[in-house]
Amino acid sequence: MRPALRIIAPVALLVGAAVVLAAQEKDGAGQPPKTAPAAKLAQAPAVADDDNSCIQCHATLTDEDQKRLLVTAQDLAADVHWQKGMRCQDCHGGDPTVLEIKAHQGKDDFKTVKSAADIPEFCGKCHADIGFMRHYKPSPRTDQLAEYWTSGHGRQLKEKGDLKVATCVSCHGKAHGSGADRAKHGILAVGDLDSPVYRTKLAKTCARCHADKELMAGREYHGRPLGHDQYAKWRDSVHGKALLDKGDLSAPTCNNCHGNHGAVPPQVDSVANACGTCHGKVAKLFEGTQMRHKFEKEGLPGCATCHNAHDIVHPTDDMLGMERGAVCLQCHAETERKAKGGTLAGAEDAAKLRKSLEQLKREIELADTTLSEAERLGMEVSSPRFELRKATDALTNARSLIHTFKVSTVETALGEGSKVVVEVQQRADAALQEHDNRRIWLAATLAPILLVIVILLAYIRRMPAPAE
Amino acid sequence: MSPAAHDAPPQDEKASSAVKRFLFERLGLESALALAAKKRVPVHRTTLFYFLGGMALFLFGIQLVTGILLSLYYKPSPDQAFESVRAIMTEIEYGWLFRSVHSWSANLLIGVLLLHILTTFMMRAYQRPREVTWITGVLLLFIFLAFGFSGYLLPWNKLAFCATGVGTEIAGTVPFVGSYVLLVARAGEHVTGDTLARFYSLHVVILPLAAFALLGVHLFLVQKHGMSVPRRVAEKHGGEKLVPSIPFVPHFLLRDMVGWYLALAILAALAALFPWELGEKADPFGPTPKGIKPEWYFLAMYQALKILPAQVGGLEWLPGKTVGVVFFGLCGLVVLAVPFLDVGAGRGGPRRILNFLAAVAVVFFIVMTAWGLTE
Amino acid sequence: MSEPLPRRNWLLHGLQASVAATVAALFYPVLRFVWPRAATSSGAADVVAPFRPDELRADPDGSWPARFTFNFGGQPCMVIRDPDGKIRAFNGKCTHLDCNVEYRPAQGDIFCNCHNGVYDLNGRNVSGPPPRPLEAFTVTIRTPEGKPGQEEIVVSRSA
Repeated sequence: MRPALRIIAPVALLVGAAVVLAAQEKDGAGQPPKTAPAAKLAQAPAVADDDNSCIQCHATLTDEDQKRLLVTAQDLAADVHWQKGMRCQDCHGGDPTVLEIKAHQGKDDFKTVKSAADIPEFCGKCHADIGFMRHYKPSPRTDQLAEYWTSGHGRQLKEKGDLKVATCVSCHGKAHGSGADRAKHGILAVGDLDSPVYRTKLAKTCARCHADKELMAGREYHGRPLGHDQYAKWRDSVHGKALLDKGDLSAPTCNNCHGNHGAVPPQVDSVANACGTCHGKVAKLFEGTQMRHKFEKEGLPGCATCHNAHDIVHPTDDMLGMERGAVCLQCHAETERKAKGGTLAGAEDAAKLRKSLEQLKREIELADTTLSEAERLGMEVSSPRFELRKATDALTNARSLIHTFKVSTVETALGEGSKVVVEVQQRADAALQEHDNRRIWLAATLAPILLVIVILLAYIRRMPAPAE
Repeated sequence: MSPAAHDAPPQDEKASSAVKRFLFERLGLESALALAAKKRVPVHRTTLFYFLGGMALFLFGIQLVTGILLSLYYKPSPDQAFESVRAIMTEIEYGWLFRSVHSWSANLLIGVLLLHILTTFMMRAYQRPREVTWITGVLLLFIFLAFGFSGYLLPWNKLAFCATGVGTEIAGTVPFVGSYVLLVARAGEHVTGDTLARFYSLHVVILPLAAFALLGVHLFLVQKHGMSVPRRVAEKHGGEKLVPSIPFVPHFLLRDMVGWYLALAILAALAALFPWELGEKADPFGPTPKGIKPEWYFLAMYQALKILPAQVGGLEWLPGKTVGVVFFGLCGLVVLAVPFLDVGAGRGGPRRILNFLAAVAVVFFIVMTAWGLTE
Repeated sequence: MSEPLPRRNWLLHGLQASVAATVAALFYPVLRFVWPRAATSSGAADVVAPFRPDELRADPDGSWPARFTFNFGGQPCMVIRDPDGKIRAFNGKCTHLDCNVEYRPAQGDIFCNCHNGVYDLNGRNVSGPPPRPLEAFTVTIRTPEGKPGQEEIVVSRSA
C-alpha cells in the first residue's frame, strides 16, 4: 500500500466512528425513550403479597359466620388474573396497605359482588375497557359484555331479573369463591385445557343448566320451551362423537352454532348460515332453492328440518326419496301434502333422485365385484381400481348436489360417475376375459410343442445307429 | 466343396443349394461344419448330465430374447419403472407372457446351472486339461447370480427395493472393502434412482458382455477338449477313445431339442398359470414390508446369516455378519479352486475331503433353502 | 450313408415342418408385442386446461409461456390469446414433420422452428413447408357451478 494511504485510512475510520457515535447520542443522553404506562395498575401501590392486607385478613378468617369470606392466596394461584399480577384491590378496589376493616369499609371504589346480577358489569369493568385490555393484548376483544346483554342469558337477567342464568363465572370458572364455596381452580384462560369452556368441556358446562329438568322447566325462547335434551342429543350426534370420541377439535360444540357471549338459538332464517360456516358448499346450494324460501315461509328451521338440530347423524341415502325412513315423506307424503304444502312434483323428484343414486351405487358395486374377482384370479387391475374412485367421488358430489333439489343437476353429476363406471366395468370384464384367454392360449401352445416332442422322440428312435 | 472357386457352378443346381454354395465359398463355413461333424458325445451311465450345459445355454437364449423384448418398453427410472412393468403386464399384447417367462426362466436357469456345476463336480470333469473350463464355468455362475440380483430390482417394487437394500448391506459387511463395495453398488449411501440406473446397466450391458466373453471361452474349451469321460467308465472300455459315442449332430442335438421343447412347454405353463407378481411400487420412506426375503438361490446364505449371533464367540470385533460373509466368500474361492484342490484326480484316487464338503454343502443348501421358504 | 427309408423320410419331413412351424409361431406374439400400442389417452372428449383464462398472457419479454401447451389425449394442445382477446386452441404439432410449433404474440403468428413454417392465428398454413393447417380445437370458457370468478378453459375436439 502507498505510504500516504497507510496513515489516512485509519484516521478516516476513527473520525467516521466518532461521527456515528455522536449521532447516536443525540436522542436523550443514550437512554431509550420512555413509554407512558397504559394501565391504571401502575398507579396502584405496588404491595408485596406478604404485606397485602386483604390477604392477611381474609386468609385467616375463622369465625363461622365469616367463613364465606375466607380466601387464601392458594385459592387464587391458578387464576389467570392472579397469574398476570392482578391482586384483590385491582378488582375489588380498597387499600391493601391498611390493615384494618377501614381498608374497604365505606370506600367509594370498593366493589363487592352481591348477586349474579352484579357479575357482568363487575367483569366488564376491565374486559369492556379497551384501553385497559390493550395492556395485556395488542388486539383484545372488548365486546363480550355488550354481546352478553343481547344473549338469552343476558336478556333474561336484565329484563326478567332472573338470577338463575349463566353469567361470566358460570362458564369461565368460578372466581376465588368464598367459604364453603371455594373454587379449586379460579378463572382460567379460554385456551387452558382445564377451563370449563375448553372445546372438549364446553358442552358439559352448558349442560350443567341446560340438561337440568327442573331448571329448564317453564323457560322458553320466542314461545318455544327450552327443553333439556340438547346435550344428550348432541353427545350422540355425529358432531359430538367427532369431538369427544375421535378427538376432532374442529367439530362444532354449543358455541359454534349458538355463539359465545351473545348465545341465542339461531333463527329459522339463520340456521343455514350457522351450518354453512363449515358446510359451505351445501349451504350455498340450498340457498338458491325454492325449498329454502318455502321453509322460511313455513317457519321451518332450514337444514335442521331434515337433519335435526342437535341429534344430527351421518346422512344416509335412505333419507332421500319416498320410501319408509325418508325425510322427504314429512311433507311430500300423500297424507301430508295438503297439510304441509308439499307438492306432488317434489315427491316425484325425490323418488327419481333416489332411484338414480341407487343405480349408480349398483353399477359401482358391480364393477367393484368384477374387479375383486379379477384380482382373485391374479390379474393386474390396480389401474381400473384407481379409476373407480372417480366414480365414488361423483357419487359424493351428487349427494351434495341433492341440496339443489334439481333432478337435472344431480343426474348430470351422477352421469360423470356413470361414464367412469362403464369404462372400469369394461376393463374389469376384459381382465376376466384375458384370464380365460390365457388358458386357451396355453392349451393351444402346448399342443404343437408336445407334437414336436413326440415327433422328435419317434425320429430319434428310428434313426440308424451312429457309425463309430 | 471344391477349393477351386473359379469353377463354373453346375447348370441344374437347385436354388437352395446355390445359396448354400454362395455362403460356404465366402464365409469358409466348411471348417465349422467339419468341427460339428467331428464332435461326438460319449454314451454311458451319466450321459444324461451332458444335457445340462445345453439346457443352460438354451435358457440363456430365452433370457436374451425376452430380455430384449422387455427392454423395448421398460423405463429405468424410479417414477417410471414400476408403471412401465405394469403396462407390460396389462396393456401390451403378450407382455404378460414375455415378462413372466423372463422371470421364471431366470430361476430355471440358475437351477440348471447349479445342477450343471454339481454334476460336473461329481464326474470330476474339471481334471487336467479342463481346469480353465471349470474356472470360467464357476465365474459364469457368479455372473448369472449377479444377473438375478440386478434384474430383481428393476420392477422397483417394495420387495425388490428392500431386498436390494439388504443384499447390498450384506455385501457391505466384507472387511476392509465392504463399505466401498456398498457405495459403488448402491451408487450412493442409499438405494435410489442411481442404484436403479446402475443395476440396469449391469443387467443389460456389463453382465451380458462379460457373460458372452466367458461363455465364448467356456464353449471353445469344451469343443477343444471334447466331452470328458469319468475315469471308471474309460477304464471299463479300455481307454477314453474306446468309449461308445454318438455324433453330436444330429443324434445328441435332437435329444437336446427334446429337452428344449420340454423347457418351452414348462415355461409357457408357468407363465400362463402362475404369472409373476407385480407387487406394490417401492416407497423409499415407507416401512420395510414384513417377511422380505431374497430369491431362493440366495435364501440359504441369507438364512445362515440370519441365525449367526451378533458377535461370534462373544467377541466384539467379530460381528456375526462379517464372519458369515467372509466364510461364504471363502467357500466361493474353494469352489473356484476345486481342480487344484483335488490332488488325487490324476491318479484316480479317492476324493474324500472334497466329497464330504460337497455333501455338506448340498445338504446345507437344501435344508436352509427349505427353511427359508417355509418360515 | 444308407438309402433313406421311406418311413424315416416321412418322419424327417414331419419333424422339419413342425419345428419350422413352432419357430414361425413364435414370431406372432413377438410381433404383436413389438408393434406400438394405441395412445394411452383415456379418449376424453373434452379436457379442462390446467390454467385459467386470466393467466393467459405473454411473459415480460414477449414470449408465450410453454406451460400453455398441455397434453390433450396424447397430443400437445397449444392455447393462445390473440390480439383481440379471443382464446384459441390448436394441436401444437406442425403438419410438416411433427415438430412443436410456438405462438409469437409480437408477430401475430404461429411459427415452426424446424423449417420456418408459418401459420396464421386461424391455424392456416401461410408460408413455408407445412402442407395443411393446424388442427383447431373448440374452446369454451365455463364458470363451474358455485365458483364465480374461477372460469375454466374447456378444450374439445371440433366435431
